[in-house]
Amino acid sequence: MARFAFIVPPLTGHVNPTLSLGAELLQRGHEVGWISLDASLGNRLPQGGQLLLLQYDQNDVEKRDSEQYLDQITKKNVSGIESIKFLYEEVLIPLNRYMFEGITIILDAFKPDVIINDHQLFSGAIAAYKMQIPYATSVTAPAAVKMMEDLPGVHEWEIRQIVALQQELGIPYDRAIVCSEALTMIFTSKDFFGDMSLPPWYKFIGPVIQHRATVTSFNWEKLYHLGDVPRILVSIGTTFDHTYKKEFFQKVIDALGNEPVSVVVVSDPTLFEEWPDNFVVQERIPQLELLPHLDAVVCHGGHNTVCESLSHGLPLVVIPIAYDQSHVAGRVIQVESGVRLNYKRFKAAHLHTAVWEILRNPAYKEAAKRIQFSFEQSGGAVTAANLLEELVQQPAYNQAFYRNRFY
Amino acid sequence: MDTVTKRKLNSEEIFAALKVFITEVIGEEFVEDMDITRESSFTKDLEMDSIEIVSFSEKVKAHFGENIDFTGWLSGMDLDQLINLKLDDIIKHIETCQ
Repeated sequence: MARFAFIVPPLTGHVNPTLSLGAELLQRGHEVGWISLDASLGNRLPQGGQLLLLQYDQNDVEKRDSEQYLDQITKKNVSGIESIKFLYEEVLIPLNRYMFEGITIILDAFKPDVIINDHQLFSGAIAAYKMQIPYATSVTAPAAVKMMEDLPGVHEWEIRQIVALQQELGIPYDRAIVCSEALTMIFTSKDFFGDMSLPPWYKFIGPVIQHRATVTSFNWEKLYHLGDVPRILVSIGTTFDHTYKKEFFQKVIDALGNEPVSVVVVSDPTLFEEWPDNFVVQERIPQLELLPHLDAVVCHGGHNTVCESLSHGLPLVVIPIAYDQSHVAGRVIQVESGVRLNYKRFKAAHLHTAVWEILRNPAYKEAAKRIQFSFEQSGGAVTAANLLEELVQQPAYNQAFYRNRFY
Repeated sequence: MDTVTKRKLNSEEIFAALKVFITEVIGEEFVEDMDITRESSFTKDLEMDSIEIVSFSEKVKAHFGENIDFTGWLSGMDLDQLINLKLDDIIKHIETCQ
């Protein structure tokens, strides 16, 4: 049996697929740990999974630092292409720089056979590379890969930020090593990702959503009490702050309040004093439990929520706000499984029209079901676990593994 | 939009064509409320996101022809250049190339 270590950022959409994949590895009898800054991850791990909490000696200043990195991404209102600059300069690079030393210390003690680094946790790959431990990369936001084709100039800019960090942390090359050339797992299907020729170590796994522990309760009674009307989920994910949410959900209220639909909203209920009667509002929801009971999803185009929705054959209204979401929304339109609105421009009336369009026109649901099928064909956690097991090697091979790959 | 323009266009004509593409990408009803000028930036003033910019650039390419190499020019831009990209930059680029 082998030992695997996931290295994840404090971002829900990036962590979730690793929970399902980790559960599969645990079921096979492997030992699995998660390196994270987020202590609350412990409650969400599959049974037997170990939280390897990254914390520096607990003098107060360091502790405050660590908390600051947890929700750095929610601290600023950003949108459009500019948000990519913010994401790298103010979130990812400082987060990776902060985590690097702690990752090294934990890896030294845990001694994994294989590391799985999130594609935005560059310092995980850097540590693996320096310590000569085989690593695979988990790509939970595949637009970063597609960026090479869509906007190559932006992709090169991203690579420059990553390479500068690599050099700072002791890898002298001028090419990025953060996506493993042994195995880079993309958690979607080729059909949803779109055409692009990629090196053979990029594997399309599909979304992995099984074996996820449920830790959030839900007001099922209220949802059923609302009757046999179409049910819609509205979520803009976990990375946007209140200013965004208030403006956004006011439009949702105007568009869907007292319509013949029931609406599940992911938001702090205190955002408004009163919500329409046909709304169920919760700060957190058991999204995977809820999706089978729904008819459509309105979201910000986060890759995780979009893929979980399409895994259930649900049509979407996507309203991308920042980061890779514009790209994900573009894919939803390309595969014809939904309607896209511009976050800055849309008004309640547009949302109203868009929601009824995806509910009434069966073409959207049919297209979503085609993507659902492509996901099911992608192999999922079983295929991913097989590929990861192939990376487990006898120590003697490790040196050869690295010699062959990088020279 | 497949016609490749043979005659050289002056900057007013190019500006008018670009406005048509912007309208197609973001929708007529939204453009009515906007004041599109040569100084309008794509991200800040027109609030276009990356997919809208890519779709706009495809229209420019289809209209002005391959020899403008508009997508190539756009591809070369790094993040800061793209964030600050104005309509006037594109008009000048097309004028230089045709």
